[in-house]
Amino acid sequence: MPRTGHGLAVAGVGQTPYRRRHEGSTPELVGQAVREALADAGLTARDVDIVVGGFAPDGLAGENCPDKRFLPAACAIGRWSMRINTGGTTGIAAAYAAMDLLEAGRGDVAVVVGVERMAQANSVPAVFNSIFDPIYERDTGLSTISMGALRATRMMARWGYAREVWAQVAERNFDNASRNPLAQIRTPYGAEDVLRSRMIAWPVTQLDACPVSEGVCAVVIVRSERFEGSGRPLAHVRGRASVSDTYNMGDRVHRPIGNLEDMITLSRSAERAYAQAGISDARQAQVVEIHAPFTHAETMAYGPLRLCDAPDGPDLVRSGFGRWGTETVINPSGGPQAANPVGATALIRLAECAQQVMGSAGERQVPGARVAVATGQGGANQFSTCTVLSA
Amino acid sequence: MRATRPNDDEEVDVQRVYVHGTAVSSSWADGSASLTDLIFRCVRRALDDARMPVGDLEAVVLAAHDLVDGRSLTNMITAPAAAAFLKDETRLGDDGAAAFVLGDARIRSGSVRTCLVAAWGRASEGPADDIARALFDPFTTRPLGMTEIGVSGLRASRALIEHPEYAEHRAAAATRRGEVEGAAGRIPAAAWPLRDTELPIWGDVVSAVVLSSEPGPVEVLGAGMSTEPFELGDRDLTGLPALRSAGEQALREARRSIDEVDVLEIDALTMFDEALALEAVGATGSGRGMEALALDPRLDPAGARSVGYCAPAMGLTRIARAVQRVREGDGALALASGSSVVAAQTQAAVVLGRAEGHDTTHGRSCR
Amino acid sequence: MSSTPVPPDGDAAADGSTTDPVAEPVTIQGHWDFGYTYFAGASASRFFNELRLNQRIMGTHCPTCDRVLVPARGFCDACYVEIDEWREVGTEGTLDSFTILTTSFPGLPEPPTVVGYVTLDGASTALLNAVHGIDLHDFDEAGALLLTQPRVRVVFSDKCEGRITDFAFELVAADA
Repeated sequence: MPRTGHGLAVAGVGQTPYRRRHEGSTPELVGQAVREALADAGLTARDVDIVVGGFAPDGLAGENCPDKRFLPAACAIGRWSMRINTGGTTGIAAAYAAMDLLEAGRGDVAVVVGVERMAQANSVPAVFNSIFDPIYERDTGLSTISMGALRATRMMARWGYAREVWAQVAERNFDNASRNPLAQIRTPYGAEDVLRSRMIAWPVTQLDACPVSEGVCAVVIVRSERFEGSGRPLAHVRGRASVSDTYNMGDRVHRPIGNLEDMITLSRSAERAYAQAGISDARQAQVVEIHAPFTHAETMAYGPLRLCDAPDGPDLVRSGFGRWGTETVINPSGGPQAANPVGATALIRLAECAQQVMGSAGERQVPGARVAVATGQGGANQFSTCTVLSA
Repeated sequence: MRATRPNDDEEVDVQRVYVHGTAVSSSWADGSASLTDLIFRCVRRALDDARMPVGDLEAVVLAAHDLVDGRSLTNMITAPAAAAFLKDETRLGDDGAAAFVLGDARIRSGSVRTCLVAAWGRASEGPADDIARALFDPFTTRPLGMTEIGVSGLRASRALIEHPEYAEHRAAAATRRGEVEGAAGRIPAAAWPLRDTELPIWGDVVSAVVLSSEPGPVEVLGAGMSTEPFELGDRDLTGLPALRSAGEQALREARRSIDEVDVLEIDALTMFDEALALEAVGATGSGRGMEALALDPRLDPAGARSVGYCAPAMGLTRIARAVQRVREGDGALALASGSSVVAAQTQAAVVLGRAEGHDTTHGRSCR
Repeated sequence: MSSTPVPPDGDAAADGSTTDPVAEPVTIQGHWDFGYTYFAGASASRFFNELRLNQRIMGTHCPTCDRVLVPARGFCDACYVEIDEWREVGTEGTLDSFTILTTSFPGLPEPPTVVGYVTLDGASTALLNAVHGIDLHDFDEAGALLLTQPRVRVVFSDKCEGRITDFAFELVAADA
């Protein structure tokens, strides 16, 4: 039974700024973002039925199940609440859980909050090594950075990507971030800066990668029939889908149905979400927020999102597609390169799309934004989501 | 098949949800199986019990904790072992009963027709007491060395003050829970007034439940959830208001009363927690929870204890056992619940009923 | 932002801390060190024991999809069936993917090093391990060489202990 996608909408967004480190306690930051989101939706704490928290992974914060400490600050007491943890997709997976509960009639108003306190870890890459399989792979010293780079080299061999192409992607994201007061990195680094920045795992440099970020994103999702005619803007959920893949990256190297860099989880999610929304490709959106922690990972999503055929990705970048002022703007928020609080980042992509179609994106408002596409990506590049919103 | 359920002031049109298969696996330090092997074997059994080919499965909802699994983003490695390969999958870092409620919602809303729910915890791989200590606030309670068992001790001493009758029945209740072979070395450090026989026995536990919108042997008739404050000092430790509310919601949706329930599977860490929980859901009167543990035929304390204990598998284990007991003819209507970490801060409850016209010995409709 | 502390402007105490109870943020040091005993399970145990005792690389064959999965495992996650047909695979293969680790992080191997996914002859899947013996003076040059997806061979350690680190890869052409 295909999901219609009708009947749900984002009604409000509240966010802390994204910074390398926040000094406030997690419940303080959560309370601040949630109050802002409820006010944005014209609602109060009394209206909330469901609270879903996203946080990932626990090891980055050095707290076991920190949701239990911060969910009460998101109005959870006496209400339905749960915590989602799916790595990079955590924030959007939390939103999907709230949508499932709303669609099942478990309430009319849900608060979704994505939280990250990763600066509490003394060594983020060491924690990211401990996400890998302790039996066969952890001993090799794998981290999320090397995991990404292992795909980048395949994209170079297969599709002719080069470091210079990815540097242009970074330049566009940093340019967009300069208009976003919430962004952590607001310096408009150019392509030359990216190429000259420190090499982390060849071919990925520091400015190709996302920073260590903290912050909280809160989104209010409602059953829209209760809010039609209220005069407040809504960002309607027109389509959404989520697909998971095998963990084993080595199993995907030669896989005929979709290999390591084909991202079939994203192409299948996009196909389903687009069908529900009645669009054929992401060029029909005015805003595309791609959850990619590396520049190469952003370009890996172009084929699955049907922005172009995968081999044409380098040319699409060189054409300037997606830049500010064009018909489809990629990552008007600056994307994860400007701030990537892991437990919140995929929800931030949704929040940005919602604000764009509601017309409340401020200085970074894309003129005439009506349709927006947000992606989520996590695990060993194995969890994907695609959400289509419209005014 | 559609149904309506009360949503405060109006009826909402939703899909009905049935349980088609279950499996629970319990072991300890079995060197022949990795964590993913344990998960695969149990989920495979649940699918076989439901006679459902993996290709018919549309969605997967999991419950697992990173720190328990010793894998910092556990479902990255473990979800494929739970049949999530190229499926719509999500994972809660929360109790398995909450995962069940989300899996139920996915079908109830009509977004999928079939959904697997699985939860696990392998206490033999990691340091259970250290992990429990890390649950507490680093600024306040963690420096005191507080653990989940410690909170249960606070609860037990309070219960003995409020309910002097508990002292009279605790020995009989412990006897009914029974001895578990090989339990030495698997019992957490006690906290006064708790005794070893009143504690859980750490275990390697995997549970799986297969849900479908097609009619099956057991129907999910109602669900409820609620949440308590984080700070222990802000809570009613003996009244368990979140469980009371979750149970009431589930029964109200099922349009049944607690008096009609003949199978009880109420998750709790220690015997005192469970006695108080039975009172919170209204299964027995105030002060009579311990007596119920000793005598009430709706309970199966020996079966519950022998499975072993490891968060966050236990709520789904209780639900799976309730389904099994209904299918085996123990009763027609069950109330099962699951409690989250940090001293049962979040509670989820479900009401399960035997569906008419189905052979209950296996998952397939016998029409 | 209501949660951002006001910059301390009160008097400084002798030890350098401020004496303003409102402004001074408190941090405490913590540790996150939990010991685990991971059970490799029957399949990975045999894979590691074959490395240690016989210097052989073993996979398991899935009869449903006809793939030889390397390293060996006890079930095929794609077909969702248990598997137990053992196959020895070759000790030469193709470097399908790689990266050069160039930056030092606490707790991770000291750079520069190369890791890569290699499909050994007879295997359907690639496995990850270190690639030794690459000239890393110029990362871009080394990268260009490795982008040709060269042939590599397995080199075992002098003392195998039953871990994935018992072997690494090196270029076949290196001593050709």
